[in-house]
Amino acid sequence: MEGNTNFVSIDWTLLFQWGNLLILYLIVKHFLFSPIQKMIAQRQNEVKAIYDDAEKAQQDAMQMKEEYTRHLENAKDEANEILKNANKKAVLRSEEIIREAQEKAQNIVSRADVQIEMEKRRAFEEVKKDISDIALLAASKVVERELSSEEHQKLIGEFIDHVGDC
Amino acid sequence: MEGPKIIFTIPLLGGIPVTETVVNSWFIILAVFIACRLITRRLQKVPSGVQVLAEKYVTMVCKLVDDTMGKNKQRYAPYIGTVFLFSALGSLISLLGCRAVTADLNTTLSWALVTFVMTQWGGIRTKGLLSWLKGFLDPVPVMLPMNIMSELVNPISLSFRHFGNISAGMVITMLIYSGLAALTNIVFQGLLPVPIFQLGLPAILSIYFDVFSGVLQAFIFCMLTMVFVGMATDP
Repeated sequence: MEGNTNFVSIDWTLLFQWGNLLILYLIVKHFLFSPIQKMIAQRQNEVKAIYDDAEKAQQDAMQMKEEYTRHLENAKDEANEILKNANKKAVLRSEEIIREAQEKAQNIVSRADVQIEMEKRRAFEEVKKDISDIALLAASKVVERELSSEEHQKLIGEFIDHVGDC
Repeated sequence: MEGPKIIFTIPLLGGIPVTETVVNSWFIILAVFIACRLITRRLQKVPSGVQVLAEKYVTMVCKLVDDTMGKNKQRYAPYIGTVFLFSALGSLISLLGCRAVTADLNTTLSWALVTFVMTQWGGIRTKGLLSWLKGFLDPVPVMLPMNIMSELVNPISLSFRHFGNISAGMVITMLIYSGLAALTNIVFQGLLPVPIFQLGLPAILSIYFDVFSGVLQAFIFCMLTMVFVGMATDP
């Protein structure tokens, strides 16, 4: 059947065009809209991710900076503290050393005093004995007679004691 | 004035004629298919060349759907994009010397009926059957016949507007061609075998009748479809 259809008519072509519309719809949907929309969404996500990352990095950097500043201040304070402590300790230690030295010196001096006293006494005893012996000898020579040794010794001792007191 | 040529006949049900309109539609489908495959087979993150155009088209249609129909109507975007492509290419195919697909009432009526079904079905799905039926009594029950009429007339006006514009352009172009042929005959007394006056003027008129009118009618058809369906599916 060759020829033409009418200029204005409704025929089988209507059904064909429904089919064609459906086919074209499926093609446009699956091969144009879906892939392109997917690609655009992917691109948007990527750009968003990049921006998010940048923001996060900036935040991290700010946080780190703050932390470091705080650390630096803390370190300064700590150093000051350490210095102060060291100073205080040094002062205490020096005072202690001085006190110890003074104590030791005091000890030495007092011991020396005791020793001197003892030496003095011993020397005095020795001298006293020597003098009494000499006096006795001299007296016996003068008197030419034997004196009662005990009595005289006591007498002379008293005398010498008096001498020592002077 | 004759309708589209019958290219061949399927020997079923007493012969189903396959017309120029249908065959030209197949060419359009094939061309769109090949173009889509070529463009979207290797999509680049950073678009270039024809991919930019394809992306622009998709985003433009989506934005138009968004602006005209409202939010959450993006599922209609591929259909609108399809109808626009089919309609625009169906009219522009006349530039290649083929008969415009849209210069056949069957084509525009089939699309308009799809719009009609989408509108009514969308209304029923959004409002529910009862309130959709009650909508025909608005604002007063007397308006019932008017409301039914206005719904039924939509596909007719949609299809005849599109068909009329394109076929009228075709008819006028044809008249001008034959008029110019006659003028050539008169001026050269039939001595010139080539209708020389057909050179020039039809090309200028074709810019309006084929290019401008074709794209404009495609746009109007899509716009009205979006408005009808959008209004029906407004909650």
